[in-house]
Amino acid sequence: MKFEKTVTVKASREAVWKFLWDVPRVAACIPGCKEARVVEEGKRYAATVAERVGPFKVEFPLSIEVLEAQAPERLKARAGGRDGKVDGMLKVEMDLHLVEAGGTTEIRLSADVNILGKLGTLGHSIVIRKGDEVVGKFAEGLRAQLES
Amino acid sequence: MLRPFELCEPTSVAEASKILAQHGEDARIYAGGTELILAMKMGLLHFDHLVNIKGIAGLGGIRFDPAANAVRIGGATRHREIELSPVVRERIPVVAEMESHVANVRVREQGTLGGNLSFADPHSDPATLLQVYNATVTLEKAGGKRTIPLGQLFRGPYDVTAEGDEVLSEVTVPDLPRRMAAAYLRFGILERPSVGVGVAVGLENGGVTSVRIAVGCVGPVPRRMPEAEVVLQGKSLAEAEALLPAAGEAAGRASEAVSDLHGSAEYKEHIVKVLIGRAFRAAVQQLT
Repeated sequence: MKFEKTVTVKASREAVWKFLWDVPRVAACIPGCKEARVVEEGKRYAATVAERVGPFKVEFPLSIEVLEAQAPERLKARAGGRDGKVDGMLKVEMDLHLVEAGGTTEIRLSADVNILGKLGTLGHSIVIRKGDEVVGKFAEGLRAQLES
Repeated sequence: MLRPFELCEPTSVAEASKILAQHGEDARIYAGGTELILAMKMGLLHFDHLVNIKGIAGLGGIRFDPAANAVRIGGATRHREIELSPVVRERIPVVAEMESHVANVRVREQGTLGGNLSFADPHSDPATLLQVYNATVTLEKAGGKRTIPLGQLFRGPYDVTAEGDEVLSEVTVPDLPRRMAAAYLRFGILERPSVGVGVAVGLENGGVTSVRIAVGCVGPVPRRMPEAEVVLQGKSLAEAEALLPAAGEAAGRASEAVSDLHGSAEYKEHIVKVLIGRAFRAAVQQLT
């Protein structure tokens, strides 16, 4: 499932690009992110993301891999993880473009989010609503952090 | 696979409520279990303690309360009882008709109205239609009880505003006022309905004195659609009938439809519009 969000931030493209590698600050933008750490600087990261819809709870320990990093304009990454309790696996492919316009930067975020397993089949509609909400909050979180 | 759990069998709401409060998120009310046990069997949910409320006197039963001019349905009343109840068929027949189409007869024989509303699956017929009747729900715990409009129970998909230690003890469904009639239409080919629309219309001297429209299954929660009601309210019947597509489109836009296995958002919005038109006409037909 593809989600696309664009936010305009009052910051230079260089500042935004630099921010993207600040693991603790970026982790703070991801809804439900419980912990994030560097495994191999610039290449591999790990994070745990927890979410809930009513009584349904999921927790995904994610392995994140940077696929492409073209400073300061494009970042492609993928993440994956399996919930330990519920039959569900999360796979995310993210493509982030930074476009400078005057003193502001447009962050164009495109995320392909898939939940596999029972959770994905049965929770299809919920995943769509939640996915949209999470990607939106992430984009807004980036802006809030960058403009603070 | 269903993991082990403790089955608690309280004999009063106060006792049930205390057990729920004690165990917090590790405990859940169990009545028919038609949604809960299914989810637990699939490993999507687990509770260490299930609080069986079927043994609590007073949570079942259907009666007409003349003082409130309303039908009172116990929270643990099964859909099948509501479907067949002489009281419901006499006073609020459209509710009986709606209940007769809930899921299938096996689910109706086991599942309860309170359970359906508490589980808050967005694809719920009762949750949709009962809002057209301005139904209220009573939430009871050890310390007391409170009654809220049904629409205020739903916070999001599978998410209710009731507290963890509250028992949905009763659903109160007021009679429709005189000169008002209701209709409920649903559509879908999957296990659960894809679109559900309830409409109640009040006519007086050829004018629409009141209109109540609820849409379920499509959005994150079933809800009334003031966006559509306002289009028809206060119009002459002829004007209202000409405005049905506009009202339907307003409801479609407001419904927060997403494209999923039930259909594209556009498709669902279209079905909402069609069903509102048909349900309005079906209600009016009962009055003319």
